[in-house]
Amino acid sequence: MKRITCIAALLLVATVARAQDMRKAPALALKSVEGRSVRLSDYKGKVVLLNFWATWCPPCRAEMPDLVKMQHDYAKRGLQVVGVTYPPETVRRVRMFARRLGVNYPVALGTKETKALFDKGETLPLTVVIDRDGNIRDTIEGIMLPEEFEQKVKPLLK
Amino acid sequence: MRRNKVSPLLGVLIVLSLGVVSASAATKTTTLHIEGMHCKMCSASVSKALKATAGVEKVEVSFEKGIAVVRYDDQKVTEAKLREVINGTGYKAVEEKTAGVKTRGDCCAEMAATIDCCGD
Repeated sequence: MKRITCIAALLLVATVARAQDMRKAPALALKSVEGRSVRLSDYKGKVVLLNFWATWCPPCRAEMPDLVKMQHDYAKRGLQVVGVTYPPETVRRVRMFARRLGVNYPVALGTKETKALFDKGETLPLTVVIDRDGNIRDTIEGIMLPEEFEQKVKPLLK
Repeated sequence: MRRNKVSPLLGVLIVLSLGVVSASAATKTTTLHIEGMHCKMCSASVSKALKATAGVEKVEVSFEKGIAVVRYDDQKVTEAKLREVINGTGYKAVEEKTAGVKTRGDCCAEMAATIDCCGD
């Protein structure tokens, strides 16, 4: 009985610690390259992968076909990829680039400040994993590896 | 009689030395030249991908030198596979001769005014 109480207490502490680690994603309202508004609040109830990228960043470009595939394969399970560019970028260039790659998710023009809301570093690509309740669950630096998707994103899609 | 005692000992020594040779043969270190890296975050992406590759034991990537020094188990991964992994990150594993040539069209060319991360 004592052992069960101890385990329960440990689980409670772990849960509280986990809850403290999580923070709400800041409100984000940007314009997509197609001129539509992109707000994080629009995707409440979905698992959002907020991907910061730039056309001049080779790993970002290399990662995009994977993100297109994730959006295609997991949309029905509640996944929503949202791309946010990092400056300097022009709407025209980003739009052309996204079309050429067949990007199937919204892409918005961001600023350095937009990225700083989520991460102070300068790593690109950077993907912020946001759960269905709007909590930031993880930040993935560099190209997302398949095992990172399995471990950090897929459990949230259940 | 004496010969009979020496033979097993010799056998053990041979087996041990073969073990040492095969263990050292399994671990290799190679320097791969990479084109297009001009900033710290570029090398971080390459490093992450290489470290996640099965058989890779140690990785050191320098964007200044345009190289990745990789220690790997050649029973588990080949140098060709390492090059493939680098190419998968959007950069290009190249022969040494062309590695020093910078292409301004790639990483950082347009971000020079925004982030101080370009080599030139």
